[in-house]
Amino acid sequence: MTTLRLAAKLAARELRGGLRGFRIFLGCVILGVAAIAAVGTVRESIATGLTQEGARLLGGDAEIELTYRFATDPERAWMEETATAVSEIADFRSMATVPDGPRGLTQVKAVDAAYPLVGEVTLDPPMPLAQALAGENGTPGLVMHPLLIDRLEIAPGDTVRLGTRDFRLMASLTSEPDNATAGFGLGPRTIVATDALEGSGLLEPGSLFSTKYRLDLPPGTPLPAVQADAEEALQDSGLRWRDARNGAPGVASFVQRLGAFLVLVGLSGLAVGGVGISAALRAYLAGKTQTIATLRTLGAGQSTIFLTYFLQVGALAALGLILGLALGVGAPVLLSPLIEAQLPVPAVFAAYPAPMIEAAIYSTLTILIFTLWPLARAKDVHAAALYRDALSRARALPSWPFVLATLALLALLLFAAASFSGNIELTLWTAGGILGALLILALAGLGIQTAARALRPAARGRPALGWALAAIGGPGSTAGPVVLSLGLGLSVLAAVGQIDQNLRGAIARDLPEQAPSFFFVDIQKDQIGPVLDRLKTDPDVSRIDQAPMLRGIISRINGQPAAEVAGDHWVIRGDRGITYADALPSRTTITGGDWWGEGYEGPPQVSFAAEEALEIGLQLGDEITVNILGRDITATLTSFREVDFSTAGMGFIMVMNQAALEAAPHTFIATVYADAEAEAAIFRDLSDDYPNITAIRVRDAIDQVSGLLAGLASATAWGAAATLLTGFLVLIGAAAADQRSRSYEAAILKTLGASRARILAGLTLRSALLGMAAGLVALFAGIAGGWAVSHYVMETGFEIAWGPAVLIVVGGAGISLLAGLAFALGPVSAKPARVLRAQD
Amino acid sequence: MSSPVLSLQNASLSLEGNAGPVRILDAISLDVHRQETVGLIGPSGSGKSSLLMLMGGLEQATGGTITALGHDLTTMTEDQLARLRRDHFGVVFQSFHLIPTMTALENVATPLELAGAPDAFARAEEELRTVGLETRMTHYPSQLSGGEQQRVALARAAAPRPDILLADEPTGNLDSTNGAAIVDLLFGLRERHNATLILVTHAPELAHRCDRVITLTDGRLSETEAAA
Repeated sequence: MTTLRLAAKLAARELRGGLRGFRIFLGCVILGVAAIAAVGTVRESIATGLTQEGARLLGGDAEIELTYRFATDPERAWMEETATAVSEIADFRSMATVPDGPRGLTQVKAVDAAYPLVGEVTLDPPMPLAQALAGENGTPGLVMHPLLIDRLEIAPGDTVRLGTRDFRLMASLTSEPDNATAGFGLGPRTIVATDALEGSGLLEPGSLFSTKYRLDLPPGTPLPAVQADAEEALQDSGLRWRDARNGAPGVASFVQRLGAFLVLVGLSGLAVGGVGISAALRAYLAGKTQTIATLRTLGAGQSTIFLTYFLQVGALAALGLILGLALGVGAPVLLSPLIEAQLPVPAVFAAYPAPMIEAAIYSTLTILIFTLWPLARAKDVHAAALYRDALSRARALPSWPFVLATLALLALLLFAAASFSGNIELTLWTAGGILGALLILALAGLGIQTAARALRPAARGRPALGWALAAIGGPGSTAGPVVLSLGLGLSVLAAVGQIDQNLRGAIARDLPEQAPSFFFVDIQKDQIGPVLDRLKTDPDVSRIDQAPMLRGIISRINGQPAAEVAGDHWVIRGDRGITYADALPSRTTITGGDWWGEGYEGPPQVSFAAEEALEIGLQLGDEITVNILGRDITATLTSFREVDFSTAGMGFIMVMNQAALEAAPHTFIATVYADAEAEAAIFRDLSDDYPNITAIRVRDAIDQVSGLLAGLASATAWGAAATLLTGFLVLIGAAAADQRSRSYEAAILKTLGASRARILAGLTLRSALLGMAAGLVALFAGIAGGWAVSHYVMETGFEIAWGPAVLIVVGGAGISLLAGLAFALGPVSAKPARVLRAQD
Repeated sequence: MSSPVLSLQNASLSLEGNAGPVRILDAISLDVHRQETVGLIGPSGSGKSSLLMLMGGLEQATGGTITALGHDLTTMTEDQLARLRRDHFGVVFQSFHLIPTMTALENVATPLELAGAPDAFARAEEELRTVGLETRMTHYPSQLSGGEQQRVALARAAAPRPDILLADEPTGNLDSTNGAAIVDLLFGLRERHNATLILVTHAPELAHRCDRVITLTDGRLSETEAAA
């Protein structure tokens, strides 16, 4: 206790001198904490918004979704009995056409008079939805998203056709309360009254649509109980239940996952900050060697010394933590109007304790990890340091309790990251990546020093280059800190750039060679023949694939609920396309089991996609129950097939024998491979002749997916930018610490006759070369990371994207140059006599 | 007698101190002739090193004129002064002032590289051999003893074959044995390159190895005597 009190007094006395020497330390803590707190605050704000607005997002207290069909009378009766109000919505894709004009894909929401149960649809010009859908002069009305209105080149009052029916565009759709639950749609939204679709040829039996029944429940109704009731009463209906507890589960889980990932990216920023914190503390303690040695001479024990500086670090870390939290929480809250305008979902911005605690725990552990060793070295300073440089002779590794403590803190950090992110695998990969990258970067720093020494003779006769190489390769080189601080952020950016470009490349280069031009869906049985005739006679069409198309949900596997067997596998998460076939279709490879024989009419059999079956753990002979149109069909798994989804062609997870499904109402799907020039004519002819058929242009769909991926890449790049900013700060710290030796070198060079321009050139070259080297190392790391992700995760080919690669190297040089130049002018303009005297 | 290679007329130097301007040198007038050796002595704080810095253009005089090899140092820019030093001066300091990131050879070659000498490294090797450091050429300053570092500094100062050698307490950080060896080397190099030598020292016996000894007291020239 006495030791602690004494150490506290000594620490307080030293801190009286101000924060000089600790600015970079503080800066690194503040930035690291702020980045993580900011991501956490935005994530929490969205989560709160989603929870608070659950009912509005869902469009009711609860929702029952059915695939491919409307509710039966008994089902409807149960809903009416349970809820105070019920609203029925049918959701499907269709083509919106303007007579003799353009046409476009749209996601239609057919609603009843009760819609929306919660919230409000806003229209431009303002009018009630009911009035808009009533239309005028006997023509029913519809409202459309402004994007679709632009695409179709129409204005309110114009006529638009859906299927075979004409509608009047009454207004543009400004907002719909339940938009966040819509999920991924390929076309902009159209809202129309369900009644008005009668006779349109749309929503025919077998068409691809889903129905959603929104329930307004009596106040205080326990949602879990109603859910259980629904699942029992509507057993085997294939229903999907959602309620206001989690109005937009897809969005919530996406935000949660993205937030977790970005926090982990933020940890790389904290790691870089840790390097800066460690360097700043080492520099500070090096300057305190004489003080420590004096204290040791006066009888201070090792524990007093350790505690004195540990308490100083603790006080400054606490200050940094408070300032970092204020910045990380304050910035999103202050900028909330701007952020909310960009978000497609509601968010309630406030200072939430959870992300603050998360950021504080991460930061405290990181600070401890990076400060323990320098503190341990300080305690090892002997009184003899008063007359010789003892600190530099201290052993590189601290005593084993400190090594053990560091390892324990690392384990604790990993545990915390895994707990907060909820994804152990992602955490371990990220942690492994950060540690691996730090190790590689440290080794690269040493490699760069060696290379600079080896290249030095080649620079003879070019003094500026020679000095730069000497400074990089010689004693006291800053190559290590620069490569470490810049490298990690640049590596993440380089990897993101490579992955992004390769994915775009794969889409732009490879897909057109393999992908069809169009998917045509909702082709009725009586239409498939004429449609195929039209396409087969077209010389520009190189290939047509067609198959019957039904949709169903895998409800059971071997009699067990599917989720219990397959967990959260994507195949069982929603409804899947199912087809049937008698003979083995062409271009189909059986990888296990046997295809049923032609003309087979026995009990239902199913052939499953081999890779997905392996992931789920299915085996030949398993019983798969699929709910199609509310009816359960149980089939025996008799074969596995190779299904390649990467070609964007037709690929069904499940194929059943013909006799099992052909009697069920269904439509056909066709994929058409055609020359780009012929696409417009095919599209026009088929949509003119068969207005109920929906044409999906593959390129449009791919563009939309690309847009989503670009958003993800951009979010990751912002995370990496925060790491880079911390790296820049560390670099500034390194440059500031190095300024004295730069001034000294410059003074000697001036004495030897070097002009200021030459000295500046040398300093500039030094910074640029180091930055370029860091950029090159990051580039190699980024290319390796990009290749690994492309190869193992995306399963696409990989080519080095030279554009972003060059940008990374130039960017590295630029950042290093900026930090270097900021501290170059002092040494260049200093008077040599004074600098040299100060060294004497 | 030929015109002086170094001429100071009422040269003075004041520096800003915490308590206002401090007069370091006051109206110094002095001529130094080609190949002459001049010893500058005086008590600590008398302004010896400052005077040497003025002579080398490393410090700007705040009054009077200083001419070196016909150039008025008080009107020259910092870069012009640097070029003048590169082509005509060699400077040796008490604290050696070697560039820590460069090897001994690179340190010696640097002024030659600055002058654009194509054989900079060959000449640097030759100078290092002259000072007896042929086995230490690739060592960094931190790997050399004090005496070795000062020999590298001497080689660096002499390598460009300067007209004027300025030496500021070159033995101040060395023991007597090393100090004597360095002084012998210094005078030997001066002899070899026919250079003018201005030697600042606090040791009168060392100063008296010069042709002339000048004593500075409180920033003023107090005595000039011919060496014995």
